[in-house]
Amino acid sequence: MNAKRPFWASVAGVTLMQTIALVAPSVVTGLANPVGYAVILATSLLTVWFWEGLFAALRRRKPSGHGITTALIISVLAPPDLALWQLALALSLGVVLAELVFGGRGFGFLSPAVVAASLLVFSFPEVALAPGTANVALATIPGAILLLFLGLISWRVLLSAAVGAGVLLMLSIDGLDGLAIAAAMTFCLVFLVCDPTAASATNPGRWMYGLLAGGLIILFSGGATPTTEGIVFAALLASIFAPLIDHLVVLAYAKRWKIADA
Amino acid sequence: MASNLRHVTTPLVQNNPVTLQILGICSALAVTTSLSTALVMSMALTVVLCLASATISLIRNHIPNVIRLIVQIIIIASLVIVIDELLQAYAFEISRQLSIFVGLIVTNCLVMGRAEAFAMRNPVWPSVLDGLGNGLGYSLVLIIVGSIRELLGAGTLLGYTILTPASQGGWFVPLGLMQLAPSAFFIIGLLIWAIRTYWVVQVETPKFRLKLQRSRG
Repeated sequence: MNAKRPFWASVAGVTLMQTIALVAPSVVTGLANPVGYAVILATSLLTVWFWEGLFAALRRRKPSGHGITTALIISVLAPPDLALWQLALALSLGVVLAELVFGGRGFGFLSPAVVAASLLVFSFPEVALAPGTANVALATIPGAILLLFLGLISWRVLLSAAVGAGVLLMLSIDGLDGLAIAAAMTFCLVFLVCDPTAASATNPGRWMYGLLAGGLIILFSGGATPTTEGIVFAALLASIFAPLIDHLVVLAYAKRWKIADA
Repeated sequence: MASNLRHVTTPLVQNNPVTLQILGICSALAVTTSLSTALVMSMALTVVLCLASATISLIRNHIPNVIRLIVQIIIIASLVIVIDELLQAYAFEISRQLSIFVGLIVTNCLVMGRAEAFAMRNPVWPSVLDGLGNGLGYSLVLIIVGSIRELLGAGTLLGYTILTPASQGGWFVPLGLMQLAPSAFFIIGLLIWAIRTYWVVQVETPKFRLKLQRSRG
């Protein structure tokens, strides 16, 4: 079965496709502030590749470049005036603790970008992550369609997260500005909540995970238009629950099969 | 004597109660926001552990097996109450910062664990040494974690300013994360990682292994 697996479903392929999907939002973010963005991106890339290279050398493996997606996502989320040492510190902790200690891309259960972004906010309360803008959201859409088409992000997660957030928002405030809400959420939803290694992996689990993430987004944003911090924390908490959700789904399947056998 | 001394030395690093037996984690997270609370908690726990081991070992042949846990808890709880009262009398400020965690030494798995695993079956002197060794092993971890968290989280050690924070004209920006509980998890996790890199025997066999891939994707 593995032999027939297409290239884009391999680890390197997923990284490549995600990178392609991230190009447009990165360009849009970069155009707003070219010099600041370039410095932040260079620092991010240097940090993640340094740790990946170090771990690859220590484990006597071929060097890999999966950290590029983490660096690209963080560069979009980072505020333009962020101190570079703060960025490097948060990114180091995120990449090492959420990905590399587990054995590299695909072995952990959290998205390193989510962990890095939440550590940034936890450690430095004065840092405010960049809010999602309409331009970034529009630029995200082609990439999201590509990833959806290849099955690298789950439409179930995307839909249920949007529904979960939408329903809670409708209950909490009147007079929704749907476009502003979509603009604030799109990028983070596609690249943080739907992360292929952090989201649930069973179909019923994906619905539950998405609803949980969507609900948490509104809860953490105080019932108003979602903030980037709110989405990051929601993605972190939801992906901690994802293995549990999958475990329960598998148990339920096993029970059903046992009954069918008897 | 040399064989008795190993009861003190092995629990320091190699058989450390926190990093190998993963006992006493709750208090290790809660009281390590500053070095002074970590030190006082370490002392309180070590004293309780030594005295409890001595007492339990002394009467070990007279404890009916069915109610041994109750007897152990009564002895430990009495000692903890004495320590708690002493702290409130002579170090009230610290005692307030430690809040319920001194009282919770009663339920600390470490104290119960050593009583059940060692003091119930060994003579008094080795039991005291075992208590001391485990108490010091626990203290060592608490002091390391407490120092790192206070230094990086507030720029101070034992309340003395080491790194002048930016708010007072220095260069150091305190890491708010270090004052939150997750950082204790990270630090203890990294300590365990370091120890197990050195003593590879301690690495647990994984429950699940990846199947070898037939073709590299």
